[in-house]
Amino acid sequence: MDIVLAAAANAFTWQALLAIVIGTWAGIIIGGLPGLGSVVGLTIFLPFTFGMDVITSMALLIGVYCGSVYGGSITAILINTPGTPQAAATTFDGYPMTQQGKVGEALGWATFASFFGGVLSCVMLIVGAPQLAKFAVNFGSIEVFALVCLAMLCIVGVSQGSTLKGILCGMMGFLFSMVGSDPITGADRFTFGQYALSSGLTLIPVVVGAFALSEVFVRFSTRDDEAARIPEARLIFPGLRDIGRRMIELLRGSFIGGFIGALPGTGAAAAAFISYASAQKLSPRRKNLGKGEPDGIIASESSNNAVTGSSFIPTLALGIPGDVVTAMMMGAMVIHGITPGVRLMADQAQTVYSLFVVLIIVNVAMLILSKPSVGLFRYLFKLPQGFVMGGIVMFSFIGAVSVRGNPLDLVVAAITGLLAYVLRRGGYPLAPLVIGMVLGPELESSLRRGLLISRGDFTAFFTHSTIASVLFVLIALFIAGTLWSGFSQWRKDRAAGESPAA
Amino acid sequence: MTSTLFHPRVLTALALLLVGAGLSVTAWQGPSDAMLVPRFVLAIWCAAALVVLIGELIRRAPMPSAPRSPLPLLMAAVLIAAIATASLGFLIPVLPLVALTLWLFRVRQPLWIALGTLILGGGLWFLFHHVLLIRLPTLLTSGLI
Amino acid sequence: MTLLRASLAAATLVATTTSAVAADTLDIVVPFAAGGATDIVARSFEPIFSEQLGVTSVIRNIAGASATVGTAEVADNEGNPNIIGYEPAGALSIQPSLKDLPYGPESFTYVCRTVSNPMFLMVSKDSDIDSIDQLVEESQEYPFLYGSSGPGTLPHLAMAALTVKSDLQAQHVPYSGSGPAMNALDGNEIQVMADTETILENYDLKPLAVFAESRVEGYEDVPTFEELGMQDLEFSVWQGIVAPKGISQERADAFADACKATVESDRFETFADKSGVSIDYLGAEDFKAFVARRVEVNKQVLKDAGLTE
Repeated sequence: MDIVLAAAANAFTWQALLAIVIGTWAGIIIGGLPGLGSVVGLTIFLPFTFGMDVITSMALLIGVYCGSVYGGSITAILINTPGTPQAAATTFDGYPMTQQGKVGEALGWATFASFFGGVLSCVMLIVGAPQLAKFAVNFGSIEVFALVCLAMLCIVGVSQGSTLKGILCGMMGFLFSMVGSDPITGADRFTFGQYALSSGLTLIPVVVGAFALSEVFVRFSTRDDEAARIPEARLIFPGLRDIGRRMIELLRGSFIGGFIGALPGTGAAAAAFISYASAQKLSPRRKNLGKGEPDGIIASESSNNAVTGSSFIPTLALGIPGDVVTAMMMGAMVIHGITPGVRLMADQAQTVYSLFVVLIIVNVAMLILSKPSVGLFRYLFKLPQGFVMGGIVMFSFIGAVSVRGNPLDLVVAAITGLLAYVLRRGGYPLAPLVIGMVLGPELESSLRRGLLISRGDFTAFFTHSTIASVLFVLIALFIAGTLWSGFSQWRKDRAAGESPAA
Repeated sequence: MTSTLFHPRVLTALALLLVGAGLSVTAWQGPSDAMLVPRFVLAIWCAAALVVLIGELIRRAPMPSAPRSPLPLLMAAVLIAAIATASLGFLIPVLPLVALTLWLFRVRQPLWIALGTLILGGGLWFLFHHVLLIRLPTLLTSGLI
Repeated sequence: MTLLRASLAAATLVATTTSAVAADTLDIVVPFAAGGATDIVARSFEPIFSEQLGVTSVIRNIAGASATVGTAEVADNEGNPNIIGYEPAGALSIQPSLKDLPYGPESFTYVCRTVSNPMFLMVSKDSDIDSIDQLVEESQEYPFLYGSSGPGTLPHLAMAALTVKSDLQAQHVPYSGSGPAMNALDGNEIQVMADTETILENYDLKPLAVFAESRVEGYEDVPTFEELGMQDLEFSVWQGIVAPKGISQERADAFADACKATVESDRFETFADKSGVSIDYLGAEDFKAFVARRVEVNKQVLKDAGLTE
């Protein structure tokens, strides 16, 4: 108990609290600006942490990280442009709600779901880190392959209107991720002899092009319409009764996010899509999903923020960073002489407990700072549309080029922007493109590693372990269910189409 | 029939099918271990594109009346600025792009255009490049601009 | 206190004024994303180095394609005295033999080697294997799988060389980094891995042998491969500074002096101690010869292991 109190005392110094407020606030703004995401935010703040003590610097970085994951939802809801890839699934229901004039409710649900997911994942981290870490070790390449296959199927769910076009875009995203070195043999693929292409395409420039730049183009071609107007941002928190009514959704999203976060190498964007797909199967209001249903926002936002806490599970329990962001956190710890690894919990218990306390404070700070942040965006979006669009173009450019300092990424963003405009005009859903790019690399490398491990025998995948078998059965059920509902829908459509003719 | 063929949706589907087919050729010529997954992905791509194309042909959506709009100008400006960054640095291509974006989005007063370009283009560039030290592409070797 | 506020304000102020005014900011290219293992060392190196050199400097993270994109950026700046690269071993000594790159070992002015950590061959702590002989023997009936942090990385090369030089039967399974590979080792998906002391310590593994000329301090009971009768198995993870070729001798000497003073400084030594990297300085000439030798050795390994023609 003493150690917990000492840890709390560490986290409640005013340096740490100030760092949390600055970090969270800046994180929300950076996340909200299209193009700039968690990685750029952390890169900006990493140099400042050199002169600070370890708790203060972790407080600053955790604040930036959690804030940016939440901040992405603000622009996703207001202008249909996710501020970060993690918030791509928030657009499905967030923007329709905005179009129906329910901006305040949409932002309120996004904020509350983010807070709820964040806090719940802290609890998961504190209570179950060793157990979850041990369970995550059972997820070898073959289990991860099965899990990612299952997640890939949510392309079908999020392709509103045309499943085939969705699949096409998903495959396009998958192919985007394949440009560059093959992760297994190192051979160059689809580079056509161009050295510049051998570094491959990364997610951020593609997301910037597909959402931010294409949104500028779409708004330009409809700039005289009422629809192009950006509504005034407000924040209306849901009432207690509404929260109670949707508690199951909040819990499901948070647990999915919390669990995905504990697996090394998946991340918040994947969690949001998986959670959204499960809401489509399980929510009592699933018929309205995609048409402005708060459950969709809850599914996306509770799960992507639940990743923030639980992504520390592999980092703290095993020393394995779950994603780029936690890898940067690990780097920051190393600077201060704390080497993450299997013995961290034992050797540095007080620091670890302080981190837990910091994580909870950050989530509370996020809830408090949401109001002024939304206020700032309201102010920004009140500017004449030209300035808003010019700003989006600038931030998109800066975000795309600063991810890894490669000017080629800017060209990728621009070309994706043009392509995405054409695709949107042709009725192709763009979210599958992001899903393909997020999940594709993991799907491919886990499959290829699985084949190496099973010595080339794919049938061995199904019986590799209980977890793998269960996941493959779920996949089979999902496909069968989708085919069946698609078939009956088709029959109904045909019956409806024939009757007036007859 | 020809009018259906030139429908933008049909053309999009056709282009996607052709690109998929072209990439399939590359995939089948490459090494079989590295190209294993790409071959599957491209097979699904081509199949989906083919069905989409047939669907668009059958549906025969009415030809949209294309209003004349300077959208291609904006698109070209974005693309040119992005390409020019590699050789001219970040600041120089971005300034005319921001000015053009402002103008196209109906900001027509010279003062506002100048101010907007200076703040959005120059200001943000200065903030990131010189204050936050997130280095953007440069023109001079000294890194000044 | 005021440390936080002061450092934030000071950093902003200093950065704004100096970098805007001074024309010769030194760009230090790190060919990885911010926060990675190499980046952390570079960021600790940078302030001391620029102080010694008397310039302002800024870290530029240019990541991608196994660190070759950032390295190519340095090589591409021929004659530019305001850019150097903080380079990992792979980009300088492996990738040029593996791929068609816009640079080669001769594209640089070598400044110095900063750190070098020998690699260990290791197995999981729960493993019943205690020696190389036992490992080789058990691999005969059912080949082992060894992990790496990606194709063409040092952990891959060291193991590939070992399979060529001994009777060890083992196959390569690459992961996206040392972390995921450790997860796989924990789940017994792979059985062996070659990596540095940092990994060994952090994940509590069992070392079997060390890829070095002589035994390593702190691991006196871990034999070298030479003692076990296997020649030329020396692999270490090192980092060094290179400048583009075509800069003046004067500038190159200034870089070299600043580098020497930096690695000998107390501040850098304290950092190295805390973060588990061992300082292993080589001057300009020695570093150049060292890289040339490593390129030759690695080329031969790649060829023997069938990774290149």
